[in-house]
Amino acid sequence: MRAQFPQRTLLSLALSLLFLSMARATRGCSSSSPQLLSQLQSQANITGDTRLLLEPYILLQELNTPTLRAACREYPVTFPSEDTLRALSKPHFLSTVYTTLGRIQHQLDALRQQSPKTKVFPLLERAKWNVQGIRNNIYCMAHLLNHPLETPNPTEAGSGASPSTTTTPSIFQTKIDNCRFLWGYHSFMGSVGRVFREWKDGPSRSRRHSPRHSLLRAWRKGASRIRPSRSSQSPMSRVQVPW
Amino acid sequence: MPSYRLQTIRPMAFSVALHPAFLLVVLSLKTSRSEVLGEPFQLTPEILTVSTESKLQQVNLQWTVPNLTHQELKMAFQIEISRINTSNIVWVENYSTTVKWNQLLHWNWKSEIPLECVTHFIRIRAMVDDAKYLPQNSWSNWSSWKEVSVQVSVAPNTLLIFPDNKLLEEGSNVTICLLYGQYLYNVSCMLQKEPIHGEQLDSHVSLIKLNNVVFHSVSGTNIHCKAMNATKMIFGTVLFVSKVLEEPKNFSCETQDFKTLKCSWEPGVDTALVWSQQDSQSYTLYESFSGRRELCDHRNSHNWQITDDSQETYNFTLTTENNLRKRSVNLIFNLTHRVHQKAPHDVTLENIDARKANMTWKVLSRGNNYILLCQIELQHEREVIHEHNVSVHMSASYLFSDLEPDTKYKARVRCADANHFWKWSDWAQKEFCTPEAAPSQALDVWRQVRSENGSYVVTLFWKPLLKSQANGKIVSYNIVVENQDRLSESEHYSVPAPALGTQLSLDPCSYKIHITANNSVGVSPESVMVLSNDSGHEEVHEKRIKGTKDGFHISWEPTSGDALGYVVDWCVHSRDQHCDLQWKNLGPNTTSTNITSGAFKPGVRYNFRIFEKSMQQKAQLLEKQTGYTQELAPLENPEVTINNFTSNSFILSWPSYDSDFQSAFIEGYHVYLKSKEMQCHPKGKRMTLPDYWVLCEYEIKDPEQKAFTVENLRPESHYEFLVTPYTSAGQGPNETFTKVMTPDENSNMLLKIILPMTLCVLLIIIACYWKSQWVKEKCYPDIPNPYKSSILSLIKSKKNAHLIMNVKDCIPDVLEVINKVEGPKTQCIVSGNPHNEDVSMKPPSSVPTEDGSSGSVPFFFFENFTYDQSAFDSGSHGLIPGPLKDTPCQLGLLTPPEKLLNVLEKDYMKSLAESPTEETSLIYVSQLASPMGGDKDSLATNPPMPGHCSEYKMQMAVPGRLPSLALSENNSLTSEILLGQGEQ
Repeated sequence: MRAQFPQRTLLSLALSLLFLSMARATRGCSSSSPQLLSQLQSQANITGDTRLLLEPYILLQELNTPTLRAACREYPVTFPSEDTLRALSKPHFLSTVYTTLGRIQHQLDALRQQSPKTKVFPLLERAKWNVQGIRNNIYCMAHLLNHPLETPNPTEAGSGASPSTTTTPSIFQTKIDNCRFLWGYHSFMGSVGRVFREWKDGPSRSRRHSPRHSLLRAWRKGASRIRPSRSSQSPMSRVQVPW
Repeated sequence: MPSYRLQTIRPMAFSVALHPAFLLVVLSLKTSRSEVLGEPFQLTPEILTVSTESKLQQVNLQWTVPNLTHQELKMAFQIEISRINTSNIVWVENYSTTVKWNQLLHWNWKSEIPLECVTHFIRIRAMVDDAKYLPQNSWSNWSSWKEVSVQVSVAPNTLLIFPDNKLLEEGSNVTICLLYGQYLYNVSCMLQKEPIHGEQLDSHVSLIKLNNVVFHSVSGTNIHCKAMNATKMIFGTVLFVSKVLEEPKNFSCETQDFKTLKCSWEPGVDTALVWSQQDSQSYTLYESFSGRRELCDHRNSHNWQITDDSQETYNFTLTTENNLRKRSVNLIFNLTHRVHQKAPHDVTLENIDARKANMTWKVLSRGNNYILLCQIELQHEREVIHEHNVSVHMSASYLFSDLEPDTKYKARVRCADANHFWKWSDWAQKEFCTPEAAPSQALDVWRQVRSENGSYVVTLFWKPLLKSQANGKIVSYNIVVENQDRLSESEHYSVPAPALGTQLSLDPCSYKIHITANNSVGVSPESVMVLSNDSGHEEVHEKRIKGTKDGFHISWEPTSGDALGYVVDWCVHSRDQHCDLQWKNLGPNTTSTNITSGAFKPGVRYNFRIFEKSMQQKAQLLEKQTGYTQELAPLENPEVTINNFTSNSFILSWPSYDSDFQSAFIEGYHVYLKSKEMQCHPKGKRMTLPDYWVLCEYEIKDPEQKAFTVENLRPESHYEFLVTPYTSAGQGPNETFTKVMTPDENSNMLLKIILPMTLCVLLIIIACYWKSQWVKEKCYPDIPNPYKSSILSLIKSKKNAHLIMNVKDCIPDVLEVINKVEGPKTQCIVSGNPHNEDVSMKPPSSVPTEDGSSGSVPFFFFENFTYDQSAFDSGSHGLIPGPLKDTPCQLGLLTPPEKLLNVLEKDYMKSLAESPTEETSLIYVSQLASPMGGDKDSLATNPPMPGHCSEYKMQMAVPGRLPSLALSENNSLTSEILLGQGEQ
């Protein structure tokens, strides 16, 4: 608790920068690809911090017990794993992230509506705009790389994000689902940040080449079966993927 | 505790209403017959439906009483509820009601266990309980058991927890039920972080009872369970525990304008919960006379519009409500008694002068007969200095008087209904400042006079005027000095504020000094002081006074009856140079006063002077008084010196203390003397100490006595002494004794002899030193004059005038050089041998030693033309004469005088004495200054082997007229000159 104040201050500062970046992004695309990449990496890293949303949510919903915390991480809402992301070509990667962020935005909005008059409400509001900012930058990045984003097919992108609304879910289960979603969101953004860092490191650093198209297809078709993993230590071969 | 609610539903079915009149008639007849007969009859109820409300855990029962022949009949019903099986009765309840013909009856029951978890059974029976009829003695038959259950299916490996999302109030109890699916076992549950345990109801149901639940969070209290077997899925439910709804407090309503009633209250804790489980409690106002009900727009207030001007009395009910509870408070009042007047407006303040100001204001009036009570306050520095109430109709004014000039004030006014006081209005206020006025008070002045270089140095002091006396900001102080002796002369001085004193240098005359203070408006009354010629020179007796912790009581004797008053002055810091003079003015009839000050310190002497002020404003010193608030023991002992120190007495003396630095009045001194086996003077106190030491204590009661003679001491003995002052508070510090040792008895005598002798010797030494040159000349000149030598007298006595040889007459035959010659000057010395090397390479063929042997001594021989050839010829010398050659240079030698004297006094004299002819030739001998040093005998017998570049001390008899030659002392050339037969 003692370290919270400076951490929060740093977070506020970072968020302010993020807002500035977003504001710039919404005005128009940057013509500098490295600058945009750097900005994207920063945005992804910042939003990958669980202190932004997950921790406040856990505290608000009284989920701060070892069992419930573990439950949040056991079956997180499915997002493309880091391996999957790394295996994608750059256009596909951007498209995937863009699409996923769209779903995240929608989910954040739903979560926001579930938590009126609470402390996390303004955080969710801010997070929603953060995600919008990152999406804008990804759009610009794709434009800069001459690979304009295709409008994702909603049917293709609708894998494993929002819980079913046909029956009134248990509030307890909703809390756990939301917690898992937030955990997955932060993890996904962290993975995105790391992939962007590899981009920044240059073409000399080869990206892991895997049957990316099949993986992407697998994620699109049955993303719920793809367990996100932060591990990138698997001895898969890395090859440079040409644009 | 389960509760129930009964609903009697009137027959609604249209068919029932249209029952044929025929049937009614038949029924009436039948009833009449029973009444007449008085037969008991049984009416068995029939359960129509049993339904459940799962969320409320409620069972709803609906039944009817068939065969009821009466239009209305009062009946009692008994309902039984069993759980799991019919024999396990958990609830029995009697319920009485009036049953109408063909009526559907309703009853409900809330189960403490969620209905999903266990099956319940319900049945009912009835009994006529109507006084109009013969009472039925027994219950009817039971209806058949009806099963009550909520069907849920539990999938394998899953757990269902009931109730789900349960809303309950803090402090209530709840039973949680767990339904296990197939293959699920070993389930553990936790309430937040605390484990909770239940009881197993059957193989797939267990119950957990929670009592007195507490509020955790607005987002609910999580109960989560986890099975330890195959699956690690987590199951849970949320209990939404609401805080208990509180009753609104301090509910009141009032109006300011008779158009709106503002009602307010303290709402209490917010019972809202998230997840849409419960909103914040609502507040509703209901006015019973008008029948209006309004939902309040704020949780602590509501504005109620007055729509009916004629309504005077209001009866409000404030109801607050949430999902669990409802609470109400009531308020009834007359509108005219709840008028909260608006704050007065148009407040103005007008300064009439420096001490008066007029305030005016207006109020909101409701008619000519409406009187308001207004309260006026005058504040200065947030302190109310004036308060007044006035009755006001429309507008009013109030005059503030006795104000202080140049002062900030705040005037404020508030009003209320004079007839039915309810509440003061808010304050309407205005700040104002009064203008300055001339200072109203003369300065309190005093002076200090001292003489310096034949003139007065007068330091004037004055105290600052109080704010109430200054009446504005003091700009400067004016001083007018009138010379009383020369009335035409007066000096004007202006001292800018905030100075509180000044110094004047005046000629020794009488003066009248006028001092005034100025502000921007005017001048204060003047303060006058008169200085006479003798001011500052008064000599009066100083009296000692004793102070207390609080200060000093000063009293004095007046000298004249026409004193204008008295002044007592003193320094706050008597020990410092900065005196910080204080004074106190006293009236003419005063002869004593108490001087108190927080600055008085214990152990500090304070000096007070009492002056009498004459009618001419002249101050005459009456008395001096001095004292301490608290006397302390001396902090230090005097520095003692010893005088007249003899073998059996000495005198101790010490300087006097500066009175201002005394921590108390010194009353005397204690002298302590310590020694071994000592006899004390009869006036002293004797104390025996360990190791045969004796301590004598002498008391000097006169503080002015600063010496003490210690007598009857033993010579050559150790004594120790200590002198310490004492005051009323004790004596000085116990410091280390000073040690002394008495001298020997003869030491004085010795001193008398030794000292003059020493002085004499010193004088002689000084004289000798002073005349050293003369003595040298006389006693041991560098070159002795043989004619002046004492030898001469010997010679003369032997009548041989030719004994003294003239150097001129001597022709040296041989010169012997004993060393390697360095430097070019040796070339001058060695005759016929221009190179030293040549000389040194010439080995001494035979140098006779004392024993006659010839050693390898590196002697060099020179021809000495001053030497008498006859001396060689005598054969008494073993040297081989060299060829006589002319030498271009003359030999010059420096001779140390002492060696010369030696030669003269010893060797030479000896040779003379041993000379058989009395015409012995002079023998000049050079002695080698060798490490063997000074041993002439050894030198003679074993001539040292000179080292390389060895130095030689030279001896030579040189005629007085022989000029000094080129050789100098530092020349390394040394020589030995052997003349004739010598010992060496």
